[in-house]
Amino acid sequence: MPLNDLIAPQAVIPALKVNTKKQALQELAERAAELTGRTEREILEVLMQRERLGSTAIGSGIAIPHGKLPKLDKLFGLFARLDRPIDFEALDGQPVDLVFLLLAPESAGADHLKALARIARMLREPEITRMLRDSHDREALYAVLALPPPMA
Amino acid sequence: MDSLDAVSLSILLGSLLILAGILSSLAALRFGAPLLLVFLAVGMAAGEAGPGGVPFDDVELAYTVGSVALALILFDGGLRTRYATFRSVLAPSVVLATVGVMLTAALTAPVGVHVLGLGWVEALLVGAVVASTDAAAVFFLLHGRGLRLRPRVAATIEIESGTNDPFAIFLTLLLVEILAGSQHSWPEIAAGLAGQALGGTLIGVVAGRGTAHALNRLALPQGLHAPFVTTVALVVFGFSQVVGASGFLAVYLAGLILGNRPIRAHTAIVTFLDAATWLAQIVMFLLLGLLAWPTRMIWTLVPALAVAGVLMFVARPIAVFLCLAPFRFTWRERAFISWVGLRGAVGIFLASIPLLVGLPNAQLYFNVAFVVVLVSLLVQGWTLAPAAKLLRIGVGRAETPPRRVDLDLPGQLEQELVGYHVGANNPYLRRKLVPSWAKLALVVREERVLAPEEAGPIRPGDYVYLLVPPEKAFALDRFFVDMPPVRAPDSGLLGDFFVGAEITLGSLSEIYGLGIAPDERDKTLATWFAERLGRPPEPGDTLPLGTIALVAHRVVDERLASVGLRLVEPEPPDPPTGRAARLARRLRRFAQGWLNA
Repeated sequence: MPLNDLIAPQAVIPALKVNTKKQALQELAERAAELTGRTEREILEVLMQRERLGSTAIGSGIAIPHGKLPKLDKLFGLFARLDRPIDFEALDGQPVDLVFLLLAPESAGADHLKALARIARMLREPEITRMLRDSHDREALYAVLALPPPMA
Repeated sequence: MDSLDAVSLSILLGSLLILAGILSSLAALRFGAPLLLVFLAVGMAAGEAGPGGVPFDDVELAYTVGSVALALILFDGGLRTRYATFRSVLAPSVVLATVGVMLTAALTAPVGVHVLGLGWVEALLVGAVVASTDAAAVFFLLHGRGLRLRPRVAATIEIESGTNDPFAIFLTLLLVEILAGSQHSWPEIAAGLAGQALGGTLIGVVAGRGTAHALNRLALPQGLHAPFVTTVALVVFGFSQVVGASGFLAVYLAGLILGNRPIRAHTAIVTFLDAATWLAQIVMFLLLGLLAWPTRMIWTLVPALAVAGVLMFVARPIAVFLCLAPFRFTWRERAFISWVGLRGAVGIFLASIPLLVGLPNAQLYFNVAFVVVLVSLLVQGWTLAPAAKLLRIGVGRAETPPRRVDLDLPGQLEQELVGYHVGANNPYLRRKLVPSWAKLALVVREERVLAPEEAGPIRPGDYVYLLVPPEKAFALDRFFVDMPPVRAPDSGLLGDFFVGAEITLGSLSEIYGLGIAPDERDKTLATWFAERLGRPPEPGDTLPLGTIALVAHRVVDERLASVGLRLVEPEPPDPPTGRAARLARRLRRFAQGWLNA
């Protein structure tokens, strides 16, 4: 299943300029706050809570920060391609340049887990990440995210 | 006594010929040649024009054998098709199988008019004869090569090839009737077609349900279930044809319904039909090969090649692109589906109908169809894998399916026992996990039979037996596929995300909603793992926690350091289904047994 049901076109950031993991999470929280109408602080707090358990970088330059936000009305996704790769405390040590943020309502339960697994599995496809890295504008990035994964 | 000798002699020659066909498959498997082509070639070699020099022109016999073989192949194809697969691609497949066949025939017809110098109806007959894709050829080539396609594409191609034969047969019979001079108005023809389709559907549905019911009720002696079902299939076919309904549609539907119900002796029936369809196919191809007159074919070679070319490069692609336009397929997928329009025995079989009826130009149809099938098997058959690669349509690496032993458990229909040899490297060993519907029942290690508790962790070299619902058994195959050693540890198999092992279950549950018992909330993952396992963890150890699974990732000094979170149970990857895959496996097994003996 493509990821376009989790993310809206305006939630794609083609070239985010950040230098550290903390700054990246702050920027993402700010964008997410604009689009969801929640405060930047509560979103950042949720993301940091998850990062404290272990980095959400899954290797090969990809990170999927996520968390649960009470009273959100549906799953919310935000994608950013970083201008320059940054250290994200990944297990494989590789700097991260592709970030998919997912916020889930308190009630999402299994849908939250399924969505996360789908994102992780799709972004593990080398073909998909290659295409994402080759795309430089919002439309092109969104088109790749809307592709059906090769492993249907 | 001479006549008795003649009978014995024909039995000897006939069986030797079949034996040659069976053994030639060894060579075919080794060189990847389309197996069906080899059978045809053996038949041709034995025939009048080849070194065998056997004179054979009994079209009626060839037609009878062909009908029986096709009925069995279609029944078997239905029996192996899961409703889920069927439903998911029903619309595109059915459009391809009806409108697609008609378009292909119509687009091929101009070649018949301009190159073969036929009339329009005759040319349309040429098109109709070669319009359907062949289920046997398609299944075999798709699966025999270990080619993995996106499930939707593979299912569309398979269901199309299974359902377009009845339609091509309708069309051919209709055109033959018109050419034979019957005076029917178009409404009558349309009514006839509808009657055939409706009758076939009705008989197929009733027969499928009735057979399932009878099978589960009648206390047949052990071993007679499979012959019973096979004979019923032929009765259904014969009956439908006699009452003017489509027998081919009826057997396909009967098989489909029977195959999706819990029935007694399911394994035995499938195995028996496997063997029966193999034999039917070999005999059919040999007879059709014998029936060919290669020397006379030379005269029609060039126009026949033109028909084949137009069919492969123009008619089929246009028909596919038009038919699939309303459905969601990428252009690569459409192009691939166009290219997999393999022709097979059905084409030659249909071309023998005009011979049987004695139409003028009958020989021409037969020769053209024969060449088209040969060219299609050669060109498309051999280029299938490269085409998949070129269009980037294959998925993952090709794997040979593992051998599975199926054991029926008398007294109930819900479960059967399946056995696998555990190789050195397969997904099961890596993940230590089977789907929740499968239950480990026995382990055979070093010639001793052990209960799972006695056996402890499964090791390479063990044989494992699992209880599974019969309809899901095939989905287990992929867990026991032998895979080449991994280059780097594939963290994707270990989990979607990773966390440190010193965090508490409670903190994990807060984010993922796992429903942890209050007294366990403060436990760290490392402690919890150690307690649950009762031994030091090893990377890859997997434990379910609520709705997710935790996988031991890094272990330092016998204590867990990091843990993979697998958020969703892995889908059993697409099963290697299809009759042909099984046929190939069975044949290989047979061949190996043969060589060992």
